[in-house]
Amino acid sequence: MMPATAARTSVRAADWRAAIRSALQPLVAVGAVEDRYVEAAVAAVEMQGPYIVLAPGVALAHARPEDGAVVLGLSVAVLAEPVSFGHPTNDPVDVVLAFGSPDRDQHVGLLAALARQLRAGLLDDLRTATGDDDACRLLDEVMHDVHEPRSAG
Amino acid sequence: MTTITKGYDEELTVLTVCGVGMGSSLILRMTAEDAFRDLGLKARVTATDTSSARSMPADMIIGQAMHTEELQGVAPAVISVDSFLDREELKHKVLTAMHELGWLQHDTPVS
Repeated sequence: MMPATAARTSVRAADWRAAIRSALQPLVAVGAVEDRYVEAAVAAVEMQGPYIVLAPGVALAHARPEDGAVVLGLSVAVLAEPVSFGHPTNDPVDVVLAFGSPDRDQHVGLLAALARQLRAGLLDDLRTATGDDDACRLLDEVMHDVHEPRSAG
Repeated sequence: MTTITKGYDEELTVLTVCGVGMGSSLILRMTAEDAFRDLGLKARVTATDTSSARSMPADMIIGQAMHTEELQGVAPAVISVDSFLDREELKHKVLTAMHELGWLQHDTPVS
């Protein structure tokens, strides 16, 4: 099975738990992660704190491979209204990225590509995406960037 | 007399930490690798989870305050950063920590 990407924009989420579920549900829909993976991603924050809010405004939700990740997947929920994760410095959050990886190595290249694209302005591009398809195209670019040589910038 | 200095003659052993050790900490590892390269410091950076970090020898641990607070004393330098994407914030904090430890050589550019 090919890696999966999925995006939802203008998402209405009541709280951070709903925001994580909104980001991961499209990966459940295409079979990239199992249902239980979504609740494991929520539980990770309940157990470890809101560390997934890795920079102002952006969270990276995920669980462990053994929590039901089937194929490599990357998704995003762009929120209509930001939510609080209870993070001391990086709240509120309006872009919730999520990924699933079936093993501990497969996603390393994907996250490297994601880090590059985040530096290149991916967050603002997602915020101004014209719809789900436009946002998904941005994630496809991240997937395509996985095997590109790393830029020095 | 020749002294071996960390980050110059031999690489720094650096851990980036988060709750699970395979998401946020990997993003931070990439930002950290860029920061050390900018600073001209040799470093081997590994991403891990906070509980594993306790038993891994390291010169420097970098993570969010909610995790680094419980890791104080585990490594000579334990650095808290707010943003895992902000290379400049990280460079500044690495230089400050290196300076406090007396590991900084005078010819290191201070950005």
